[in-house]
Amino acid sequence: MTIRTRILPRASRGLLLAWFLVPLVPIVLWAASNRWSFPAALPQVWGVDGFRNVLAAGAVDAFVRSMGLALAVAAIATLLGACAAQALVRADVHFPAVVAGILFAPLALPPFAVALGLDVLVLRARIPSTVAVIMLLTVAAIPYTTYLMRAAFGAYDIGYEEEARTLGASTATILWKIRIPLLAPALSGAALLAFLVGWSDYVITLLIGGGRLITVPILVASLAAGTGNDAVVAALSLTAVLPPLVLVLLLSRLRRWRSR
Amino acid sequence: MKSATVATGRGTVWVLPALVLVVLVVGGGVFTAALQSLGLMPLVGEPALSFDAYTALGDDLWRSLALTLSLATVSTALAAMIGLATALSALSGSRAPLVAAGLTVTVPHLIGAAAMGLLLADSGLLPRILGSTDGSWPELVGGRWWIAVVVEYAWKESAFVAIVLAGTLATRVAAFDETAATLGAGRWARLRLVTLPLVRPALIASTAIAFAYTVGSYEVARILGRPYPEPLSIMAVRLFTSIDLAARPQAAAAAMVATTLTVVVAVVAVHFLRRSAIWR
Repeated sequence: MTIRTRILPRASRGLLLAWFLVPLVPIVLWAASNRWSFPAALPQVWGVDGFRNVLAAGAVDAFVRSMGLALAVAAIATLLGACAAQALVRADVHFPAVVAGILFAPLALPPFAVALGLDVLVLRARIPSTVAVIMLLTVAAIPYTTYLMRAAFGAYDIGYEEEARTLGASTATILWKIRIPLLAPALSGAALLAFLVGWSDYVITLLIGGGRLITVPILVASLAAGTGNDAVVAALSLTAVLPPLVLVLLLSRLRRWRSR
Repeated sequence: MKSATVATGRGTVWVLPALVLVVLVVGGGVFTAALQSLGLMPLVGEPALSFDAYTALGDDLWRSLALTLSLATVSTALAAMIGLATALSALSGSRAPLVAAGLTVTVPHLIGAAAMGLLLADSGLLPRILGSTDGSWPELVGGRWWIAVVVEYAWKESAFVAIVLAGTLATRVAAFDETAATLGAGRWARLRLVTLPLVRPALIASTAIAFAYTVGSYEVARILGRPYPEPLSIMAVRLFTSIDLAARPQAAAAAMVATTLTVVVAVVAVHFLRRSAIWR
């Protein structure tokens, strides 16, 4: 039995729901309008011209680039975060507090400051700008992946592995058949957060990519800077929200399936 | 348990990849920015220690700092309150706002800013619906009070705070709450003595992260703000991308002021986290 602590008045639920959802309404309406001049409260002509213009603006390339970037960040940051978290939880690390402090430091530093300072080093070391962007975004994501994986390893029951070892399972078998499946919800949650870091970034891509790496946010910003682009910006924005949303839904289904 | 285990350091090799990458990127970036701001790494000419980059920006630097601080403080305070209300509402059985917050979390800030523009600008959806077509609509976008910027930050960060707090509440609070209720504690007593103390560490951590994020954010104020005065992030990026190479140290100076601000907030947050008995 759960006790329902009703602290907030009923009306607050509606207000909170509106607070989170109303800002997305104009995007949906604009994306579905061919003509919507002021001061009409609803579009005068509905249609998908916005989406057509999105394709014409080179959105497919930008989507492929953003997806590649975000997947790379998700893969690297999850792997590094999981390895670090496992060692931190098992407490066989020298100076664990210092190590954890350093791994969480990116949360406390403005990304534009790091990118701005690093730009000179990247140029001098002749690191390709795409690689540099992935490195920076991975570092921005490591605090989240480390935190989630630390919590997951903290709650992890080592008993299953010990049992398997007693039955003669090899280290590789234990890793693939026990540890990774048991940690799958946490791993996918960490990967999702890291994906979001890569998918959402604007300023690091702008500063380090130097305008050559056209990702979805860079394209949105350049379209938003012009006037009369509202329908295109809205259509592109709506499409850009979908991939993370699909991942969130998949993740929650995975969670539900696991908890059955 | 922890103190019983002697650190063999065998795990250090597993933290090294993440550690080396973070130290290289963050250390390299901040260190270089610091050197540049102090004139020790000029693109042209001899290095010489000076505070010229800081003084050259004059009052504008302090005005930008004050603006950045105000925007981050107001929007983070709103985000903390709305996020807490959302998490508490989920605890009391209405999960719909929390699900909506989950949707908001996935929206990139840049797209949030575009959405707020379409909603709040003088030609946006709100004035259209409210019939304010005679030019009397307040300047929410690009106005004196940076309303649209604050609303966008509060919107996105309240969703973040809500998700973090709801995670904590779900795992820890329910059981304690039931015990307290069984022992006869009333609704407000349970909130004050059980829920809030348990949620405090997560609230401190998530609001500190939201604050630092807001200080470091660029695109929202760029799209929804006004040209002057400018937040530190916009000042730094404008100077950095300027064709005048002499402006580079000034860009680094603005970046260092922003970094100092977020580091101070992080130190304060860690101090308060340490004081929370149930931390760890």
